Amino acid sequence: MTPTQTAYKNLIFQSEGYFGAYGGCFVPEVLLPGLQEIAAAFDEAKTDAAFLAEFNDTLQTFSGRPTAFTPLPRLTEEIGGARLFLKNEGLNHTGAHKITHCIGQILLARRLGKRRIIAETGAGQHGYATAAVCARFGLDCTVYMGKKDYERQRPNVYWMELLGARVVPVEDGTQTLNDAVIAAFKDWVEHPESYYLLGSAVGPHPYPAMNTFFQKVVGEEIRSQCIDAAGRLPDYCVACVGGGSNAMGMFYDFLDDEDVRLIGVEAGGRGTRPGEHAAKVLHGQLGIFEGYHSYFLQDGDGNIASTHSVSAGLDYCGVSPILAYLADEGRVQFETASDEAALAAVQRLARSEGLIPALESAHAFAHAFELAANLPKDQIVVINASGRGEKDLFITMRHFQEESLVAYAQHLLK
Amino acid sequence: MTQVKQPALALMGHLVLGYPTLEESIRTAEKYVEGGVEILELQIPFSHPTADGPVITAACREAVEHQRVSMNDCLEALNTIRQRFPEQEIMVMSYVNRVYAFGIQRFVEAMTNLGIRHLIIPDLPVDETPAAVITRHANIKLVPVLAANVTDARLDKLLNAGFDFFYLMSDFKITGSTFSLHPRLQQVIGRIKQTVPEARVGIGFGISTPEQVQTVHAAADVAIIGSALIRAQEAGGLETYLSSLTPASVGSA
Ligand SMILES: Cc1ncc(COP(=O)(O)O)c(C=O)c1O
Repeated sequence: MTPTQTAYKNLIFQSEGYFGAYGGCFVPEVLLPGLQEIAAAFDEAKTDAAFLAEFNDTLQTFSGRPTAFTPLPRLTEEIGGARLFLKNEGLNHTGAHKITHCIGQILLARRLGKRRIIAETGAGQHGYATAAVCARFGLDCTVYMGKKDYERQRPNVYWMELLGARVVPVEDGTQTLNDAVIAAFKDWVEHPESYYLLGSAVGPHPYPAMNTFFQKVVGEEIRSQCIDAAGRLPDYCVACVGGGSNAMGMFYDFLDDEDVRLIGVEAGGRGTRPGEHAAKVLHGQLGIFEGYHSYFLQDGDGNIASTHSVSAGLDYCGVSPILAYLADEGRVQFETASDEAALAAVQRLARSEGLIPALESAHAFAHAFELAANLPKDQIVVINASGRGEKDLFITMRHFQEESLVAYAQHLLK
Repeated sequence: MTQVKQPALALMGHLVLGYPTLEESIRTAEKYVEGGVEILELQIPFSHPTADGPVITAACREAVEHQRVSMNDCLEALNTIRQRFPEQEIMVMSYVNRVYAFGIQRFVEAMTNLGIRHLIIPDLPVDETPAAVITRHANIKLVPVLAANVTDARLDKLLNAGFDFFYLMSDFKITGSTFSLHPRLQQVIGRIKQTVPEARVGIGFGISTPEQVQTVHAAADVAIIGSALIRAQEAGGLETYLSSLTPASVGSA
């Protein structure tokens, strides 16, 4: 291991929010006191044994950690290349990895004596998880959700409301995650005493490092589970990338293991033209937006571009500054998977292994299947199943069985 | 020590370049000046104006998405306004990504060539690295945009960093909200005036009536109006609205 490589893990939590040239805290002054308060609390909490014990205990008792590490023998055989395993983050309470950083942050919010929580959500998974932890700890919860996401992820809206959260559809702009983030920031300007529980490894300092810190348990579990199951570390770790929280959760613990290759899969959507995809590392330019310096999908004049993905959770214009840095360093490699490939991967995993991944996670599977086919049989590929697919019922059903969806809708209306 | 002159009370009028069209925004700037607005605040529109309320956001969106005004269009418009009013004080406002995409150094040069001495970039805290490209120029200054929750330590740091105009948010609001003046601002202003007496203090966000302008002028130097001017323009009553505002600023000077 070379000295530069051993530095990655250390760097992330000691960087004051800068990862190479990326990251930072680009927000109006009015938000600085709130962010500094959170950053200071996080700095203390991350080495406070009592805080960490409560965090780990809540992960176990409320969310069901550790999550399963599952061999995929039938797919391995079908594909005929590397051995495949998945890390089943979909088994978490509320159905995705998002609850892990929500538990971490809600404990921090309580430590700060906060009463009101604000969050943004794309697929609704982060909002759903936020609503659940707010209910669990008795805090008031407001979730902003782009109108388009509100409509396409309706089941999650219902769950959030059932959990007592107020869900606000955001009609600005393209009505997706980006607009929800901005609406949440505006709420925070108007209510600076609230706690903004941001849901990915993006945004101003300390969110990228903080959410990575809470999510790193995923990679730590994979390390020991893979050694138990296969006697050694994986050769490849593959995760989908929206903002980057599930990818950083999976990758962090392996950053200094140079033989473990790390692959982030972005949403290839339906093409490579602007507005047809959400591949910011591969097709974006450097920019400064929503509090951080990183790659963004934008026009040549610095206006943020619209994005597209069949999965709401990947349909976002920016990417974690930590991943941008690791991409430039060559430590994390980036690929894309199309809408079609992701849908096909859902069906394939369902039929061959009895598992239904979220559409976001399906992008990682789609790429991993291609990758594995070209690798020798002694290689190990681990895929992060960041979420389960139930939330996508109405999207995948429309794709695979449109007639039964229509018939069911008619039945409900009767 | 030399006796410092109290800055004159003034109105700062905000508009979005390219809204409703580039031509009309130039014309609006002219109307502002003719209507007695002492300082123009010209916004280079960004697709996602994160600190603005619905009125300015909609104006920016129209300028970017439908009028498709580029940075070069904005620079030309600024040049036209500058030619027309060589002595006019103009501040340029935008969001950091537009400036970053154009090149911060190149942007600063374009601004100084246009005789612009102040840049308002709300999502660029003055101590983040890219701000250094601006702060090292002698002829142009960033305008810190502060709210009532600015900590004493932060304020002291800013007061010792050479800024000569401080933009205060009237309250914890986004632009275009109903007006209120946060009680702690008085203390913030007192501290600014005590430490940097020659610096001007502007207050904005939600100001719309002559009475509110007066309230602001009793506390600070510059009343900043944005959304209300856009609404007046949309309703076709810009000149009347401006004339209702200006006596307040002229009369109390
Ligand atoms: C299941 C799932 N996976 C992945 C993502 C993408 O986010 P991130 O890249 O932060 O993991 C989301 C976001 O909503 C999600 O719900």
